Amino acid sequence: MRGLRTRLAVALVALVVVTVVTIGVGTYLFVDARLRVSLLADAQRQAQFNLSILVPERMPSGVTRAALEDDGLTDAFRLRGDVEAIIDFRDGELPHVSNLSLLRTLDDIPASVRAGVEAGRLGYAWMAAAGKPSLVVGGRYGQGPDFYFVFPAESIEASAEQLRLGLIAAALIAIVLALATSRVIARGILRPVDSGSAVAARIAAGDLSARVPTGGADEFARYAAEFNRMADSLTSTVARLEASERQNQRFVADVSHELRTPLTALVAEASVIEAGLDDLPPGSRRAAELLVADVRRLRLLVDDLMELSRFDARAEHVEAAALEPVDLGSTVRSIVASRLPSAELRIPHEPVVVDADVRRLDRIVGNILDNARHHAPDSAVVVEVLVEPPIALVRVADRGPGVAPEALPHLFDRFYKADASRTRGSSGLGLAIAAEHAALLGGRLMAENRDGGGLAVTLSLPVTRSLPPGHSPDTLADQPAGRSDTAPASGKPARPAP
Amino acid sequence: MDARILLIEDDPSIREITAIGLRAAGFEVDTAADGAAGLERWRRAAPDLVLLDVMLPRMDGLEVCREIRRESTTPVVMLTARGDTIDVVVGLEAGADDYVKKPFEMPELVARVRAALRRTRGSDPSAAAAPVPFGPISIDLAGRSVSRDGREIPLTRTEFDLLVELTQRPGQVLSRDQLLDRVWGYDYLGDSRLVDVAIGRLRSKIEADPVNPQLILTVRGSGYKAARP
Repeated sequence: MRGLRTRLAVALVALVVVTVVTIGVGTYLFVDARLRVSLLADAQRQAQFNLSILVPERMPSGVTRAALEDDGLTDAFRLRGDVEAIIDFRDGELPHVSNLSLLRTLDDIPASVRAGVEAGRLGYAWMAAAGKPSLVVGGRYGQGPDFYFVFPAESIEASAEQLRLGLIAAALIAIVLALATSRVIARGILRPVDSGSAVAARIAAGDLSARVPTGGADEFARYAAEFNRMADSLTSTVARLEASERQNQRFVADVSHELRTPLTALVAEASVIEAGLDDLPPGSRRAAELLVADVRRLRLLVDDLMELSRFDARAEHVEAAALEPVDLGSTVRSIVASRLPSAELRIPHEPVVVDADVRRLDRIVGNILDNARHHAPDSAVVVEVLVEPPIALVRVADRGPGVAPEALPHLFDRFYKADASRTRGSSGLGLAIAAEHAALLGGRLMAENRDGGGLAVTLSLPVTRSLPPGHSPDTLADQPAGRSDTAPASGKPARPAP
Repeated sequence: MDARILLIEDDPSIREITAIGLRAAGFEVDTAADGAAGLERWRRAAPDLVLLDVMLPRMDGLEVCREIRRESTTPVVMLTARGDTIDVVVGLEAGADDYVKKPFEMPELVARVRAALRRTRGSDPSAAAAPVPFGPISIDLAGRSVSRDGREIPLTRTEFDLLVELTQRPGQVLSRDQLLDRVWGYDYLGDSRLVDVAIGRLRSKIEADPVNPQLILTVRGSGYKAARP
């Protein structure tokens, strides 16, 4: 997790650790050094005193092994400060020691100390003597033996140990405090961030009235104010867009209404002229024929535009009551018979039942057939009803020129013209309308180029169920069950004889 | 055919060309330019059929239709500007027998007018003279009237034909398409709302409880049937 909370905690803890370690180590080293310096100074003073005053006073005739055995000089040293002594006569024999456990300590004293002593100075070393931390200070007594005084340094080690423990405890407490503080700070910082995210989510979900609570004078108050300003501007933009869309839809509706009246007159007039074409003189007759055809084209275009504008205004919706179980086979047979009777029909024996609205099916399949008729005139068209549970397919395949592969995805766009020369007699809206109707029925349209040339447009619809034979709705009445039908549709649309 | 048609339409061009087309088809045509004048004319001329625009000045087509229905069963064919659900259903509920969507070509309009008039051709001389009982009501095929307990129920010609079509085959389901074909004369894809609205109006007149019909039954997904006696 790389959230702000974690990053803040990590940073704060790291800072505390670095600080505590630096201060702790510094304190430790400082205190340790101070303790050692003061012990060393005392030890040196003591050694100096012993060598220059105590020893001459007790042994005016010189220091010898025999004198040392009797004199109790080492006891005098010990009395003056818990000091043990090693006296080295440099004669190859073992040194005289105040305590037998120090017998071998002489070998451990660093050469540098012995060299200093050799040169007539006081030498010292921090070392373990008889297994205990000690300070050893050595010096030569006149021309006589070398004296090494062993001062216990355990108190320094103990103090240092205590200090170390204290510092570690303090560091742990500081880290825990840092963690707690980072949580508190994070919560303080993130509360407005969290409320900001919640509000942004509500806005994204469509509640444009959501606003971040403002208040306070910190950076987040400014953030909240800016956020709310953005939301305000979004709200007003959306409102403006909605208003303009409503205006647009009203415009289309108004245009439709205004066009509808003169178009109604035109269509009626053209139909009357058409009925009387034979009475017209040859010159006017051709013009009248063209007029009739163009009025029909205009009507087609306006009808299609109006239909699409109803989809845009969401005025088109499927009412549950309009959906009925429909046998796709016989319905498609009727549609083909009325729109393109020359097409070859391939319909399965069994009824294919879909919940649909027959008028929408008529618009969809009819428009696909019109498209085939316009774009592949005189080509063989095959209309097929297929079932691939859980969907049913109506496939209209022609042997026309097909469509360029890059144009296929746009085939259901409005006014899309895959080939400018092929749109005569159609509005360019038919397939777009078919796609809208198909979507309302829960289905969809697909287009593909056929092997061997030509275009296939396929409607897929969800199959609801199969009707048991004998309970067929009337739409099946003219198709005895089990009859194969691949013959071209002909004659009147499917309808039972009265 | 010398049927007289009253055309009520406010747009002069549409009114004139429609009148010309109807006259060319052999009808006698009377016209009016607004609702109030149309109603006035209808009362005086008593036409065989009224062609009624929905959007009219002074008194709209729906109101005119309701007025006509209050006094008579003259067939009314609405001219609707849009195929909108609301327009069509409200028009049919106001008592219209059929509707034609604008724009229309004359042959289309003439066909709808003829189909509506055919239903009103009056009594069928070959029909049985004795009234046929159907539940609590009795149907007089010769006189084209329906009565309950001796009191006549005023049905429009469309409603009467619909009732006869259903009662001639009691228990047999007739789909909306079949009824559209036999009663309204649509040979392909008429508007099934015509049937539904007319059935609703018929039930409200002949059923004791129209919400819970006993005589004309709905068969879900198929159509309608008359109850077996």
